[in-house]
Amino acid sequence: MSKRQVAMVMDLNKCLGCQTCTVACKRLWTKREGMSHMYWNTVNTQPGTGTPHNWEQMGGGFKDGMAQKGHRPSVEEFGKAWDFNHKEVAFGGKPDAVLAPKGDNPGRGPNWDEDIGGGDYPNSHYFYLPRICNHCTHPACQEACPRKAISKREDNGIVLIDEDHCNGYRFCQEACPYKKIYYNELEEVSQKCIFCFPRIDEGVTTACSRQCPGRVRFVGYLDDPEGPIHKLVHQHKVALPLHAEYGTQPNVFYVPPLSPPRIDDEGNATDEARIPTEYLISLFGPRVPEVLEKIKHERERSQRGETSELMDLLISRKWLDMFGPFTKHPREVATSQIKFYKKPPGPGDARPAPQGGQDPLGRPGVVLKGERP
Amino acid sequence: MRAKRVASLTAYRQPGAAEWAAMAPQDIALTATPLSMQPTPYIQQSWDGKPYGQTPALKAACVHDGHEWALRVTWQGVSGMGHDFPDALAVALPVKGKPVLALMGQPDAPIHMLRWQANKEKLRIISATGIGKSIDGAAVKCGVQARAVDNEWQVVFTRVLGHGAGVAPLLAGKKTGIGFALWRGANDERAGIKAFSIDWIELALDA
Repeated sequence: MSKRQVAMVMDLNKCLGCQTCTVACKRLWTKREGMSHMYWNTVNTQPGTGTPHNWEQMGGGFKDGMAQKGHRPSVEEFGKAWDFNHKEVAFGGKPDAVLAPKGDNPGRGPNWDEDIGGGDYPNSHYFYLPRICNHCTHPACQEACPRKAISKREDNGIVLIDEDHCNGYRFCQEACPYKKIYYNELEEVSQKCIFCFPRIDEGVTTACSRQCPGRVRFVGYLDDPEGPIHKLVHQHKVALPLHAEYGTQPNVFYVPPLSPPRIDDEGNATDEARIPTEYLISLFGPRVPEVLEKIKHERERSQRGETSELMDLLISRKWLDMFGPFTKHPREVATSQIKFYKKPPGPGDARPAPQGGQDPLGRPGVVLKGERP
Repeated sequence: MRAKRVASLTAYRQPGAAEWAAMAPQDIALTATPLSMQPTPYIQQSWDGKPYGQTPALKAACVHDGHEWALRVTWQGVSGMGHDFPDALAVALPVKGKPVLALMGQPDAPIHMLRWQANKEKLRIISATGIGKSIDGAAVKCGVQARAVDNEWQVVFTRVLGHGAGVAPLLAGKKTGIGFALWRGANDERAGIKAFSIDWIELALDA
């Protein structure tokens, strides 16, 4: 049992589906060879098949405390990004060439059913569901590994795979009910979200949360009464785990999305939400109606000009308040310098030639240490 | 199993060599590792009722030339391409004493293993001191040649004679034990999901 648990809350009312989190994570952690199909952070449209496709039907987790058999997703099920014939179209000298994926069967990409959603006009609906490893309190992956290569850090509960000890048996992939573990075929090890632990250790929040333009992601300790996680999960009780019935006690929580009213056959707004509450219950459990009602109530109070601590928290006017104790800028803790390249001045250019390490924003005299996402 | 002394190992390095055909290999019975010995509840649960380790036996013969040992192992069951896990065979030799083979060694009595798998050209050398406690083993000069003929694997392992820290002794004129573990890739077999040779088989090297 970990002494403390670092956790994340994602407010689904604010997610834009812009994938900035996905890119931030990809740029930082999954650029090595064998990782091209890996998206430790994914954002999928719901209702939808998700990533890997149909992951909710792939088993794993626990039922009545017993480990459940699970499916091991293939690279094709995770979905590979397509390679396109850009060169042929741009430089091939063929005016009729059209942009198309390479190969006869490029397969379904990782975000295949983006923005399709569910329902029929005028009640079509969707929302975005960002997902990372849940860093579960009872990780099925850890329990499944015969090598004891997966551990849960005692100081903050982050679940990590020791790649030196992993033999690539992939029982973890089968056992994880959220299917957030990938396999690196070149390095022959399983790999997954590390909750940016090198940043967390230095007081910097995760790349996905720091880069999120929608201010969707809160980060902090579950037991910190002054932090946003404790407030949203335990005090206001508006953040719910995804598929709690999987039995792993996930430590990523979601504020379920409100939606506009359902339109009846005469075109009038009804009292029902357009995103079917039953569907949200299937994801986030039986407390969904109570949570939606509470957010709606607090929103109305706020609209009337009354004070709502919950709305203030969810709106997150002070960005850094979202990250509990992890408020440092990456620049403050970076240990290596990055040299920023600038094109040297050409003939007739009056600007002085830049020096290595110069501030990319052009502030005179500012030399940056390694800024990362 | 007897390792006859021969003048030269050169021909024996090839799994299809006529010299091997002229020898009478020993049948080695295999059995599936018990489900109850699988190290995690997940593996026990997910393999309950699913057959594994069903290769009933393999055939083995070996020779040495005073410097190097060659072992030819054959068995039925070639998985082919397109599976997540490769066919694999491990040859186990005790570093010290005869620890229980099924328990994969113990901390004070490791097992030194040479592991071949169908998608690799080189052997992996492993030291095991218990179930789920295998690490890279002490280096020893070794090699492998393998071929699939119809549905049969024919694999020749070679290893220098001698001993050293962490290296299982293989000495001319001496006896030791030998064990085998077999994984069938087409059946997703890996880790403890395998067939094994139950107990040590005596291996006697001619002087």
